[in-house]
Amino acid sequence: MNILNKLRRTGVAALAIASLAGVTGTAKAQTVSVPLIESGSSLLYPLFNDWVAAYSADHPGADITTTSTGSGAGIAQAIKGLINIGASDAYVSDSLKAQNPSVLSIPLAISSQAVNYNLPGVKNLNLSGPILAGIYEGKITKWNDPAIAAANPSVTLPGHVIIPIHRLDGSGDTFIFTQYLAASDAGWASTLKYGTSVSWPAISGEIGAKGNSGMLSAAAANPYSVAYIGISYADKVASSGLGTAALLNKAGNYVLPTQDTITAAAESVADSTPADERISMIFTDAPNAYPIVNYEYAVVNSSQPASAIAEAVRAFLSWAITEGNAPSFMTKVHFLPLPATVVALSQAQIAKIQ
Amino acid sequence: MACGLALLLVVFPLLDIVWVITVNGLSAFSVKLFTTNTTGASGGLRNAIEGTALITLFAMLIAVPMGIGAGIHLSEYGKNKTGSAIRFLSDVLTGTPSIVLGYFSYIIFIISFGWGFSLAAAAITIAILIVPYLARITELALEQVPNTMREAAYALGATDPTVVFKVILPAASSGVITGALLALAISVGETAPLIYTAGWSNYTWDGRFTHSPVGYLTYVIWTFIDQPDAQSHALAYAAAFLVMLVVLAINIGVRLTVRRTKFV
Amino acid sequence: MKIRPFRLSVFALSLLIPTALCAVVLFLVIYSGQAIMFNGLHFLTDVNWNLGDMYDDPVTVHGVSVPGGAEYGILVFIVGTLVSSGLAILIAVPLSIGAAIFLSEAVPGKIRPVLSMLVELIAVVPSVVFGLWGIAVLVPFIGHHLSPTGNGYGLLASSIVLALMITPIIASTLLDALLQVPKENRESAFALGATHFEVVSKAMMPMVRATLVGGIVLALGRALGETMAVLMVSGGGINILPTSLFSPISTIASFVAGQLDSAEADPTNMSVRALSEVALVLFLITLAVNASAKLLASGALNVRKRQS
Repeated sequence: MNILNKLRRTGVAALAIASLAGVTGTAKAQTVSVPLIESGSSLLYPLFNDWVAAYSADHPGADITTTSTGSGAGIAQAIKGLINIGASDAYVSDSLKAQNPSVLSIPLAISSQAVNYNLPGVKNLNLSGPILAGIYEGKITKWNDPAIAAANPSVTLPGHVIIPIHRLDGSGDTFIFTQYLAASDAGWASTLKYGTSVSWPAISGEIGAKGNSGMLSAAAANPYSVAYIGISYADKVASSGLGTAALLNKAGNYVLPTQDTITAAAESVADSTPADERISMIFTDAPNAYPIVNYEYAVVNSSQPASAIAEAVRAFLSWAITEGNAPSFMTKVHFLPLPATVVALSQAQIAKIQ
Repeated sequence: MACGLALLLVVFPLLDIVWVITVNGLSAFSVKLFTTNTTGASGGLRNAIEGTALITLFAMLIAVPMGIGAGIHLSEYGKNKTGSAIRFLSDVLTGTPSIVLGYFSYIIFIISFGWGFSLAAAAITIAILIVPYLARITELALEQVPNTMREAAYALGATDPTVVFKVILPAASSGVITGALLALAISVGETAPLIYTAGWSNYTWDGRFTHSPVGYLTYVIWTFIDQPDAQSHALAYAAAFLVMLVVLAINIGVRLTVRRTKFV
Repeated sequence: MKIRPFRLSVFALSLLIPTALCAVVLFLVIYSGQAIMFNGLHFLTDVNWNLGDMYDDPVTVHGVSVPGGAEYGILVFIVGTLVSSGLAILIAVPLSIGAAIFLSEAVPGKIRPVLSMLVELIAVVPSVVFGLWGIAVLVPFIGHHLSPTGNGYGLLASSIVLALMITPIIASTLLDALLQVPKENRESAFALGATHFEVVSKAMMPMVRATLVGGIVLALGRALGETMAVLMVSGGGINILPTSLFSPISTIASFVAGQLDSAEADPTNMSVRALSEVALVLFLITLAVNASAKLLASGALNVRKRQS
């Protein structure tokens, strides 16, 4: 037991020294080293890694751990107080919000999701909500199905079985993907609905993957597969030779996820974003809008255990939605910065963190 | 002939595992690996190496006294119904899948006690996992001490603790140490019970036992291999190499030194 | 009776082990209580595992609040566990018997320890390292050469990895038993003019059969509870029973490890309780298997004593 005590004491001593070092270095924004933990969305994970690297270079003592667990875990662990910042592609549900009124959903950036396919020889492919719903329900099983052929008159489709890939972990990507399916396909809306995890119908040959990285690896390894992958992985998707599908939007146009189409969707929603900022940008009316666009959220409990922690969280989040929204961070992951109106709403929410 | 082929089929995967992990792991090696922390899914492994060492250390600090104490009871005074019952339940605990223990700890320590992902929760979970091994191996080792030594010590008027600590434990020390080393190897290689107890941290330990997650090497193996970029894979292989090195070194060392007694 | 503080204190320490076990079991039973009531027997027979609509208001079913549409059936995982472990045993048993016989009969006594140590070492490789090897080597191999869909994750990959992990358990149990067969038995068989094959199959194997079965059951216990390696190569199939060697599967253990993240987001907490029930089922299965392994092992001992 002596060793235990000694170790504990040296640990405490180390902590004291560390905080002293922090105090002597107060010239910078942070006074005391407060370790923060971010966990959740694998779509936000690459951006958070870049943010934390840049932020801690400017703010010595800002220790922020980033982990990629999935939006479901990000939301749940933030509510339980296991982590400080839950990263999520999905806002907190109404029922969870009612149970935990102090939990905020704060947009940090605008993201979108691509539907990617591994089809040897096919360069351009149009897909729609009903087609994808059919694929993931097991009703459309071959690539040359009449429904897919009708959407792609000029493409020679292989008669191969489709391998649908879905997420295994609770995921914001699943949330926005199934929201698109539910919004555009009545059958899906009435049976499977949407959520961070849904009850995927049984399809022979389907693959479950963990995280966006797992989706990408599985799609790249399996010809004739289709997968939904967060836009932050677009560069890796392209270098793996996967195709990106143009998706049918509400106005009836097939659109690819580009800066213009994503902006069109975001602008159509910016002004109607409520004060708690929980709003869907899926399948909006704008004629040129890409249908799977979403806010990337920080899910944060407004009552933090200590004021120093609250201050560190506020400082980091404010930095993220201002300097962190600079093109140097955004273009790399194909995100878009928040519109000014939304930045103001997010600032107001960040100020509530105590 | 067919039997030789069977042996080849059994041993070949082991050699292939060692080969694949070593080649990929060594090519990812550099000084930076040991001196820098993980940043995102790249950087070094200092935090994970330290975390694994801490989890193992504290798990051993909890489990070794318990396991040796229990082993003493089972070997010296436990040759009765109660002893058999403890022995049976200890074997049941050994057979319990480690993910079940991890799930238990998550609900009890992380959620109910409100510790958050933490060193304490991780170390206790691993301790529960290895205590039954330690107890049974200690028991086996002590049983091999000839009864004449006990009788001689008692005849000289020695008390129970004197007999155990001065005579039996020293005589059985190599066996007990073997048990402790094997338990150490198990705790270095475990993953499932840590996923929901240790969490993960990009930084070295801040001295807190609760409310502060810790990194560990096996986490790097199973999560970073799923990341799409090469440097994450390199880290996963480097971590796997380190874990494998420790586990195999301990097991080979133990088997070479204590050839005669077979514990596992 | 004299009080002996030392004996009492080591006794107390040894009681901590059953205490920990009882705490785990009690917790699992109590925590999953509500889920057991809600699920009834459908839990074991239903194919669908559906966390329900977590974005809608929870509904009240039989007096318990659950997300709308939630249903918890684990038949797929039970089948996945039993089939993958069963296949693993099918692969591992002939390999183990072959390897053990080779080691006891064909290998000179001097090299035997080295080779048998190699076999034993397989058992200590951490399962996450097996999983990594599975992802790096085995899954691509199955995907390119065997699987019709080109997808290497699934039942076959899981079974092979499991087989590798349990082979040393069966092989070293069997080897020990073979080496303990009395010399006279072998030699009298040889003296009667039996070939080496006959000596092994007719004179030695029958004597060690009970030990072999005990070792197999013990290995089965390990395979059923294996988590990480399976999680990494199984493909994580849910809501579908495996139809071929290449079907994605989930085992009970890998499902618990992979699903808690999702379950945590359930506002009613019912899915976390249901997972606790899943863990309880896994515990009971491994308990049954390990207990029968123990019974077989003690039976085997008796037989051998009588014979010698």
